[in-house]
Amino acid sequence: MNSRTIFVWIILVLLTVVVGVISSFPLSYAVITILVLSVIKFIGVSFYFMELKKAHIFWKASVLIYVLLFSTIVLVVI
Amino acid sequence: MENTQQVNSKNIYYPPGGILLWIIIFLELITFGIALIAMVISSKENPTDFHESRLLLNTPFGTINTVFLITSGFFMAVSVNYLKQNNTKKSLLFLTLTMLGGVLFLVLKGVEYSDKIDAGLTIGYNTFFTYYWMLTLFHVIHVIVGLVILVSVYVGLKKKKSTTTIEDVEASAAFWHMCDLIWLLLFPIIYLLF
Repeated sequence: MNSRTIFVWIILVLLTVVVGVISSFPLSYAVITILVLSVIKFIGVSFYFMELKKAHIFWKASVLIYVLLFSTIVLVVI
Repeated sequence: MENTQQVNSKNIYYPPGGILLWIIIFLELITFGIALIAMVISSKENPTDFHESRLLLNTPFGTINTVFLITSGFFMAVSVNYLKQNNTKKSLLFLTLTMLGGVLFLVLKGVEYSDKIDAGLTIGYNTFFTYYWMLTLFHVIHVIVGLVILVSVYVGLKKKKSTTTIEDVEASAAFWHMCDLIWLLLFPIIYLLF
């Protein structure tokens, strides 16, 4: 079992719990914090679990552009 | 054995899981992305209604389900790694754990849906719940399809003269991770933001 994969899994679970806790407090930066942490989780799953890290730059860039574009639009609209 | 073959993932035409599956993944992500952005735009018309409706959702259930899917995705990645090392026995073990994670997700989602129906929060209750039901049910269908694919891979690997290749398993894993990615977009927007 790859130790880096285990490390990424622990980080992703911790971030999920942190995001859940943050949402229950009326913090002024809650929305942006939740979105940023969710983007990190998205990148964690795609780059490490899906092994996109080993893929051609085109696929890495496409996923990054997609998730950044999506989160920016949500942040601007909300 | 056929499942020891490796492809060069650095080649633009061979991303992990295959180019056709990645085209599907992007189409799915774009579809869910547009629907979620439409939901956020709709919330501007009646923010109070969306906020009050969001509070009716069970955030701990959503959080636990996120952990189930992330853990299931982790087991899937481990299963693929073991198969690449030609350790089919351990690969099958982690594939079983992957499917268990998916089943637990569906069970908890079923409990959540049952609570919502009992409370009268059905698809026609308001705009928020129309989006909630449409998006989460569409995602649940993906998880069920993913589980069917994983069961077929499990059966294929279990055969003594297996014709299931590492590419088949990687493609199935990519589909399963896609369910994870879609949920990672749905969870913060539907359960937390409004």
